[in-house]
Amino acid sequence: MSPFSKQTTEPDKVRVRLYRFDPAVDRTPRYEAYEVPHTPRMRIMDVLNYVHENMAVDFGYRWLCSAKKCGTCAVNVNGSPKLACWEEAELEMTIEPLSGMQVIRDLVTSRDAFEALLATLSPTLVRKAEYRGFPEPLTAIQLAPTAHLRDCIQCLACQSVCPVLKQPDSGFAGPALLVALSELAQDPRDGGDRARLAGEVAQVFKCVSCYECERVCPVDIPIVGEAIEPLKRLVYQAGVVPGARHARAFLDVVKARGYLNAAVLALKTKGLTLNALRLALRLVPRGKIDLGKAFLKRGAPGAKVISKTYESSEEVK
Amino acid sequence: MKRTYAYFPGCSAKGTCRELDLSTHAVAALFGIDLVELENPGCTGAREFRAISEQLHLTANGRILALAERQGCDLVAVCDTCLLNLMETNQRLKADAVARDAVNRALAQEGLTFEGKIEVKHFLWVLTEDIGEQQLRERIVRPLRGLRVAPFYGCHIQRPAAAYAAGPAGDTPALDRLCRLLGAEVVQYEGSNKCCGFHVVGVEEKIALRMSGSHLTNAKSNGAQCIVTPCPLCHTVFDAYQPSIERELKSNYEVPVLHVSQLVGLALGLSPENLALSRHVVACEGILAHIGDSRAPQTAAPMA
Repeated sequence: MSPFSKQTTEPDKVRVRLYRFDPAVDRTPRYEAYEVPHTPRMRIMDVLNYVHENMAVDFGYRWLCSAKKCGTCAVNVNGSPKLACWEEAELEMTIEPLSGMQVIRDLVTSRDAFEALLATLSPTLVRKAEYRGFPEPLTAIQLAPTAHLRDCIQCLACQSVCPVLKQPDSGFAGPALLVALSELAQDPRDGGDRARLAGEVAQVFKCVSCYECERVCPVDIPIVGEAIEPLKRLVYQAGVVPGARHARAFLDVVKARGYLNAAVLALKTKGLTLNALRLALRLVPRGKIDLGKAFLKRGAPGAKVISKTYESSEEVK
Repeated sequence: MKRTYAYFPGCSAKGTCRELDLSTHAVAALFGIDLVELENPGCTGAREFRAISEQLHLTANGRILALAERQGCDLVAVCDTCLLNLMETNQRLKADAVARDAVNRALAQEGLTFEGKIEVKHFLWVLTEDIGEQQLRERIVRPLRGLRVAPFYGCHIQRPAAAYAAGPAGDTPALDRLCRLLGAEVVQYEGSNKCCGFHVVGVEEKIALRMSGSHLTNAKSNGAQCIVTPCPLCHTVFDAYQPSIERELKSNYEVPVLHVSQLVGLALGLSPENLALSRHVVACEGILAHIGDSRAPQTAAPMA
C-alpha cells in the first residue's frame, strides 16, 4: 500500500512471469518469462508497459487512468489482487488475471457478468420525490454512512477473492455489487425496493463475513461493516429471507435463555430435517448436544435482565 | 505470579465444544492462571446481532465488557467471532463518546457502566504473549515431535485489519510459532488463513461444507495429521460437520481437529481425559498413538 519504496539498494531488474492465453487460439494458458530493467519507484503497470512496448506487442492488459480511479487494471500479482497502476513492482512477479473471471485475452477479463447483475439491482437513484434542482437538500450527516462506499472504483478485486462467489451457483452477488446497492439503499433520497433487491436478488445473507474483500480493497472500504451489514439490517426489517429469520431466531433464543443454544437455534431455523437428524445422531452421543439442556432446562437466571437491557438498547438511540 | 482474567467462554465452549472450556481451564491451571467466568454475560451476538441493529450489537458487547471491568481485569475469549465482537466494541466505545453514552444509558438499569479500562484477549495470546515462550518451553514434558499440524486461524482473529492494527493479533503466525515451540511440524497449505464458512452453515449449509472441504483437502494432501484452530466455530465445521463434508464432496478425510488448548495440553503432559478429546466427532487416537501415552511423559521423545 505504501507509495514509498521499501528497497534499500537499487536492484537492476525485475523478473516477471506473465499469464498468456487467447481463448480463440490457445487450448490452455501458458506463462512467459521476461526480464525488465528496474527503475526507481517502479509500478506493476510500468513493468507491463515495458513488456508490451519492447518485448510482446500482442500482450493484452487493461488500463485507462493510471491514477487509481478507473478500476480497470486490477490483476493478480503473486496470487493476490493488486491495482497495477498503484502498487510497487516486486522483483519477482507472477502476474495473472483476477481469479474467477472469464478471460478475454491474457490479463484482460470480462466485466459482462458483473455489469449484467448490476443492471438487475436498479443501480441508479430511484427518487422518492421529484428532483428540484441543484443543490440537493442533503446534509453531511445524511451522507456520512455512505462516504466510504462512494470511494469504490469497481476494480472487482473483492469479487475475485470472495469465497462464496467461488462456489458454483451460489446465487450471491458479491461484495462489489453489494457496495453499489448499499450506497443507494442508504441514500435518503432513494425510494427503490432495496430490501427485496438485497435479500432476494443479491442474496446478502450468503455473505460469510470473512473480510477477504476488505483485505484486498485498494481504496480501503469497510465493506462488511458499512455496506453489507446495513443491507442485512434492511432485509432483517422486512424479515422474509432465511438469513433474516435465522437472525431473528438467534436473538429470540438468547433473550429467552440468556445464552445461545445451537440445537434450539437450528431447530427454529431449519426445522427437523434429515440432515439435522443425522447431525444430532452424531453429536448427542459425543455430548455435543445436551438434549436435557436444550429442551427441558429453562433459561439462565439472568435471562430476564439481559433481555430487558437488549430491548432498551433500541430505545436509547 | 498469579494472573487473573475475566473469562467469557461463549456459547460453543459451554455447549457444542465443552471440551474447549475444559481444556482451557486445564491448561490455565498449569500456569496458575485464574479464569473468572462472567456471571450471566449474555451473548456477543455472533454475526447475527450486527445484522439486526448496530445498537443491539454495541449494547450486548458493551455489557460483557462492563461486567469484566467490574471484575477489574482483562477479558479473555476463546472464540474468534466473540473476540472480534468484543475487540471492535471495546475500540469503538473507547473512541466514540456518542456510542458510549447510548450504551451506558441502556446498561444503567443494571447499574453497569462501560468505562474503557480493560483489554480483550484471545486465550492463545495469553499463552504466547502473557505467559510467553520461555515459560511455555519450560513446561513441555512431551514435545509433539514429528506431529504434522495444519494451523487454521479463522477469519475473525486476523481480519478486519482495522481491528488488528495494534497488538499481537496482527502477527498471524502466532499460532505457527506456538505449534513449532511445542515441537510440532507446521504444515503449510492453501486455506490456513481462509474462511471455514461457519456463518452460513445455518442457512446455506452446502456453501459452508464446500468451503471447509477444500481446506481439509489441502491440509490433508500436504500431509497434515491434524488441524489446530483457536476458534470453536471453525472446529465445529471441521469436526462436527466432517462426515457431512465427506458426503458432500464424496471424499474421505478423518482428519482430527484440535483446539489450541488441547494441543498445548498434550505437549504439557495433560491426559486425553483432562482435555476431553473423546468429545470430538473425528477420533484423535491417531495423534495420541503418534505422540505416545501422556500418562507416561517421555523425557526424550524419539525423532520421527
